[in-house]
Amino acid sequence: MVKLKDVCIGLSLAVVAAIVSYLIISYNIASVAPEANRPLANMFLENVFNSEKWWLWAGSPEAVTSILWDYRGIDTVYETAVFFLAIIASIALVRTLKLTPETSGRGFGLTVIAKTVTNIVFASIPIVAYSIAVHGHLTPGGGFQGGSAFAVAPLLAISVFSLRVIVMRGWSKDRLLALRTTGLLLIGLIAIIVVALSALKGIIAYVMQNQPKPWAPAGLSAIVDFINPTLISGTLFWLNISEFLAVGAGLSLVFVLLVSPTKMLDVEVEEK
Amino acid sequence: MINQLLWGYYYAVLMLILFMSIYGIAVRPNLLKKIIMLSILSDTANILAVMIGLHVGRTIPPVYPGITFTVETLPNSTSLKEFAKQAVDPLPQVLVVTAIVIGLAVLVFLSFTAILLYRKYGTLDTRDIINRIRGETQ
Repeated sequence: MVKLKDVCIGLSLAVVAAIVSYLIISYNIASVAPEANRPLANMFLENVFNSEKWWLWAGSPEAVTSILWDYRGIDTVYETAVFFLAIIASIALVRTLKLTPETSGRGFGLTVIAKTVTNIVFASIPIVAYSIAVHGHLTPGGGFQGGSAFAVAPLLAISVFSLRVIVMRGWSKDRLLALRTTGLLLIGLIAIIVVALSALKGIIAYVMQNQPKPWAPAGLSAIVDFINPTLISGTLFWLNISEFLAVGAGLSLVFVLLVSPTKMLDVEVEEK
Repeated sequence: MINQLLWGYYYAVLMLILFMSIYGIAVRPNLLKKIIMLSILSDTANILAVMIGLHVGRTIPPVYPGITFTVETLPNSTSLKEFAKQAVDPLPQVLVVTAIVIGLAVLVFLSFTAILLYRKYGTLDTRDIINRIRGETQ
């Protein structure tokens, strides 16, 4: 039985969607896939790895990571702060929950077949995630993507081996929290390291500065001599690894807390 | 003309999903449905942003090809101009990358809130929860 109210709501939603999309296209608010790039996109793409214009380059062939950590670096730091707040609020909601092997359920996991397959896959997930993060300034990917990929590993392990085994293996709340805090502290450190080093020399520099500018000739060099000349794009490499630590450990932590047995949460609510 | 119609169809479908999710957040009383609709809303917004960076005839990602850790020669301005003619707009992708991860973190936070509310009040219906809170305070 279709109610008149539902029909009215559906029709009005469809009409509003049609009107808005007509306005978007006819008034050119959003483009209908134009042939030419926007000037801003062309600026980024042409200068991101252009060593001839060293005052505009980011020292990395990857435009996305360069914009993320160099051109719009401060923006990303604040977005990491939002991420930090969301995770810390989640932990604060269940702060009395103690994750020990005795309290984390009595599960023994799935069958031997599932466990054997997961053992093989489980080893490869952190490696792939770390590779995504380390090659963040060379290929598509970076700290955010690598960290999100890493967070799949505890989810898979929890669903196959059960939470108790994971907690016994040492995925404790404190350890993951420490890893995440280390990542965030490293981001803060790298953000001000160029300022600190150039202040010793008596020249000005910006927070989150990557490559030198004519008016602020400070910065980490894009190519360092490590055995061979190696491209690490200044701060981008280190920021990607720090963000990988922060996002991977933070998401793993909230996933481990999210699947903890509801009985423990019952006790906690009564205590409150 | 057909291209125009096709893109109009894309935008219409995305807008329909957008307004449906706003309807779900605003009208449905179930907290779980609200959370699901919020995640659909953020995903639709992300797809909209990525679509804005899409261009006809541009196929390669915004990464200058063929660069590894051991770099021998750096590209010059001409080859970078050629590359800029083929690559898609990187800026919407940048905005979406962080939005996805933060959206996931916020989703987890909302799930924690919903779990605790269900443990305390035994329901996820917002009207019931408000009634019980009022009953407790009186």
